[in-house]
Amino acid sequence: MWKLLQIELYKIFRRPRTYISFAAITALIGVIQLGLKMDGQAYVDFLMSSLKDTFEFDGQILNAYLVCFIILQLLLIHVPLLIALIAADMISGEANMGTLRLLLTKPISKTKFMLAKFFAASIYTFILLVWIAIFALAGSIWLFGTDDLLIQKSTYVVQIAESDVFWRYIGAFGFALLAMLTVTALGFFLSIFAENSIGPIVTTMSIIIICTILSTMTIPLFQKIQPYLFTTHMVNWKEFFDEKVDDQNVVIRGSLQNPQRIIDSALVLVLHIIGLVSASIYIFKKRDVLT
Amino acid sequence: MKDIIKVMGLSKQFRDITAVDNLSFSVQEGDVYGFLGQNGAGKSTTIRMLLTLISPTAGDIELFGLDLRHNRIAILRQIGAVVEKPDLYKYLSAYENLKLFAKLSDIKFTEKSLMHQLETVGLVGREHHKVKTFSQGMKQRLGIAIALVHDPKLIILDEPTNGLDPQGIADIRNLILHLSREMKKTVFVSSHLLNEIEQVATRVLIIDKGKKIVEGASSELFDPAKTIVELDTLNNTACLVQLQQSQWQQYLQPKRSHTILLKLNRAQLPQLHKWLVQQHVELISLQPRHTLEDFFLQVTSGKQYVEAFTD
Repeated sequence: MWKLLQIELYKIFRRPRTYISFAAITALIGVIQLGLKMDGQAYVDFLMSSLKDTFEFDGQILNAYLVCFIILQLLLIHVPLLIALIAADMISGEANMGTLRLLLTKPISKTKFMLAKFFAASIYTFILLVWIAIFALAGSIWLFGTDDLLIQKSTYVVQIAESDVFWRYIGAFGFALLAMLTVTALGFFLSIFAENSIGPIVTTMSIIIICTILSTMTIPLFQKIQPYLFTTHMVNWKEFFDEKVDDQNVVIRGSLQNPQRIIDSALVLVLHIIGLVSASIYIFKKRDVLT
Repeated sequence: MKDIIKVMGLSKQFRDITAVDNLSFSVQEGDVYGFLGQNGAGKSTTIRMLLTLISPTAGDIELFGLDLRHNRIAILRQIGAVVEKPDLYKYLSAYENLKLFAKLSDIKFTEKSLMHQLETVGLVGREHHKVKTFSQGMKQRLGIAIALVHDPKLIILDEPTNGLDPQGIADIRNLILHLSREMKKTVFVSSHLLNEIEQVATRVLIIDKGKKIVEGASSELFDPAKTIVELDTLNNTACLVQLQQSQWQQYLQPKRSHTILLKLNRAQLPQLHKWLVQQHVELISLQPRHTLEDFFLQVTSGKQYVEAFTD
């Protein structure tokens, strides 16, 4: 199994296509950081315009933690496409190249083969998120410095102390990893049905777009199915950036406002991953290799 | 000799198409087994079933005495295969491709042993070139090196000469003979070109529309004693009566078209010709069919000589 995984990782990282994602992420984060560095204060003033009459702000609102939060909000919608580029190509790409039949004539278990491929795609996803974390968080710390994180929610503002932010980012990235692994599993599942990767990549993105629309529309019919859609739960990394208040309405430092929602969402995502990967293995073992 | 491959009543149905129809055959240790049939005859489907790439609709396959369904990995350890054209990782070099598949085969190898494999197929000097720069022939040879990397007992080659130039075809033919004679491997090789098989195979199976047409040792199928003679005259019915009342009666074959068929030794042809002249038979043609190619073409077009050869 370990040997199979090594081989799959070797194949992923020897392909030029793999590095498109890393280059795209680096460019996107760099552009956002540059824009905020050049003209970020105007952006923050616009965001805080409704609060400035009521509150007085001191310190550096436009700091690394806010920049990272903005980047995550923008990027986590687009990262699935970069993940689908690899995950949806895992089986279909081999079928397209004709290497699938050669691989399966070797003495390897089909289940281990599929698991190795999924884990390899998952490691790629993990590395991509670490890459985002390094550039979005570490890069922003270097460029903007740190201070308290101020986030404007729909009806209130959350101020998280500088010393209380970092672990929340670790949690948010961990949750984002689960969300992106769900996308990996979806792309992987779709890749077993096609003989080139374009179809599964487009289908993965189409499913995400449709489910995201269904997750956000406040129509009663859609609201009934929303708890079962993975896209409803994918955005709950933001729950790490909300604090609980006590009876006197004082913020409890180091707390999460709704940890149960994070756990529930994580479980839904894990179930999706297990379901999709199990279905992939089952169907793949039953299918004839005709490519 | 023990059976390396034993196929019993194998069938494969793709919706309403029967690709392989109740096929049975066996390959013995040391055979170079030629698997012949036109394009679409069911050769690749059969090979894919032997390699577990396709599940049979019916029938059983035993390899090395083991049931394929329950011993897939143990069996594949002993098989090296090239299925249709050898598609490889184009962004990797020949050496990297070979190393990757050697790892997958779960064998111990060294750089020297891999280089030896590349030398066997004549790719030394190009080992670090990316496969995307290779010709079809080079890819085919690399595919064979990959098939051989774990020193398998059985080598399955599906149309190994497809798309190759004459030199490439000769190289593959020599390689098959080398594998059989020097390395004592059992080789199962499919082709739609009979002359390729004719030069290497010790046994031959011809299939058409998924069905077995004929199976036998090459020496028997090429035996001059099994020359089929096709006789066409102005009055075939009368000629047939004359033949039935003569010493040629024993050589007559069942009639399947307007012509008359006889199975006899090539050396008897002048005598037959002389006799026909003496009997005042108005002869249009007297045509010996002495090569397997004629037979193969007939088989795959009209099955005229099938029973004559399989008697």
